[in-house]
Amino acid sequence: MNSFISDWYYLSIRNIKQIWRPLMALIPSLFIPLFFFLVNSTSFSAFSQVKGFPHVSYRQFIAPVAIFTAIFFSSGNAGIELVQDISNGYLKKLMIMPIHRLTIVLGRLTEVAVLAVFQGTVVLIPLMMIGVRINTGILGVIAMFTMLILFAMAWSCIGMITALRTQNARLVQSLFILVFPFLYMTTSQAPKNLLPGWFAVVATLNPVTSIIEGVRALVLDGWGNPAILQGFITAIVLFTVMVGFTVSSFRRALK
Amino acid sequence: MSQPHQIIQVRNLAKTYPGGTEAVRGVSFEVREGEFFGFLGPNGAGKSTTINMLVNLVKRTSGSIVIDGMDLEHNGSEIYSRIGFAMQEIGLDETATAREMLQLHGRLYHMPTAKIDEQIAKLLKLVELEKVADRYASTYSGGMRRRLDLALSLIHEPRVLFLDEPTQGLDPHARQLIWNHLRDLNRQGMTIFLTTHFMDEAEQLCERIAIMDRGQIVTQGTVPELLAQHSAKNLEEVFLKTTGSTIAEEEVNFNAPDPYARRRR
Repeated sequence: MNSFISDWYYLSIRNIKQIWRPLMALIPSLFIPLFFFLVNSTSFSAFSQVKGFPHVSYRQFIAPVAIFTAIFFSSGNAGIELVQDISNGYLKKLMIMPIHRLTIVLGRLTEVAVLAVFQGTVVLIPLMMIGVRINTGILGVIAMFTMLILFAMAWSCIGMITALRTQNARLVQSLFILVFPFLYMTTSQAPKNLLPGWFAVVATLNPVTSIIEGVRALVLDGWGNPAILQGFITAIVLFTVMVGFTVSSFRRALK
Repeated sequence: MSQPHQIIQVRNLAKTYPGGTEAVRGVSFEVREGEFFGFLGPNGAGKSTTINMLVNLVKRTSGSIVIDGMDLEHNGSEIYSRIGFAMQEIGLDETATAREMLQLHGRLYHMPTAKIDEQIAKLLKLVELEKVADRYASTYSGGMRRRLDLALSLIHEPRVLFLDEPTQGLDPHARQLIWNHLRDLNRQGMTIFLTTHFMDEAEQLCERIAIMDRGQIVTQGTVPELLAQHSAKNLEEVFLKTTGSTIAEEEVNFNAPDPYARRRR
């Protein structure tokens, strides 16, 4: 095996093992998105009767958000694990090995991708069991996961950049609260045409809206919906920019 | 008769941190192949900065470092496969077992699987961690963590082993155990570069010693040479005569991130 690939592979395996160590740390992030889904879909079910709401049940409408939330919640782990490696000195050990240093970042991104697939699947299966259908079929599921993985990797970079630049574990952990404004200042709970004017503007500017609308289009509509392409473009741009910043921060941290 | 091979050659090594602190000021020394070399100095003398520059974890401001005939500037990766480093801060993956960590390190040094297995068995026995090899590192005592760290730095059979305060915080039994391992490794031909501020450790283990103070080497030689040169009874006396640092003079690492800097301005 090429040494770059083998370094990437072994570092990814090490990081993936960290996902369930300890197992108890993984469980809440698996079930909280389902909890939110059950509470919101029950409490606001009558909202689907409001004029201007799409012709779907509220449960169908927010089902894509549940999948997105599961992935969003867990994508901060990479930054927390990286700051732990920095503070306990383990990163230094990796730095003085004859490995390609870029694989340290790639190994973390691979962990994020694996966790995203796992978390997304854990939420998707119960949703399908209660009647949620993906209109674009199996290809739509693959497209949805691809978009979400790109977004999760981009979002995980915020934690990794903060870890590399500040080496402060508390600061990296506190970044979790950023999930809430970015998740709720979107069309996650209501369509844009029903949002108040200022809120609609904020939601339009929030890149998370494009991802949620892209996933929602794959679940509720069909391939013809332009929101799918827009979601992919947003995910790719965010991924490219954020990974670029992470690699640059990583190089700076070595100086 | 051929000259002994100088496995570490350091010339005019200097490090000035942003902010102007001169942690290391023009240090030069050589270490022979197979030698046990000690680097002594009070806290803040620049020992850790020097050893971190030797393994490329801290970028030097000026000077040259040649390890096993190769310039560190241009042959980092090649040199990394020939050196091991046990840091002052024991860098372990708390979520992994000793065996998993040794396996990962073997893989990252691109060793064949059979060789990795052979090394793991040998090293676990050497550092007496065979019985706890499959337990998470987070459950280990301080002494066990140090021993595992030593084993990790030896997995690829390095030619030069760098040790930064390897017995700090250990009880006398654990300290003695580490000393015995280091003596054995050195007898087998490994070059060892040790920084310490324990006089007895340097006296017991090292063939040659350099004493550093305020970023410079103030004296170097074998223990008998140092005693004669400074008319001293023991190494501690040499140390006290050649260094005058007080705790108040300990250096601040200005390279470290300071999250409170803005608030203080």
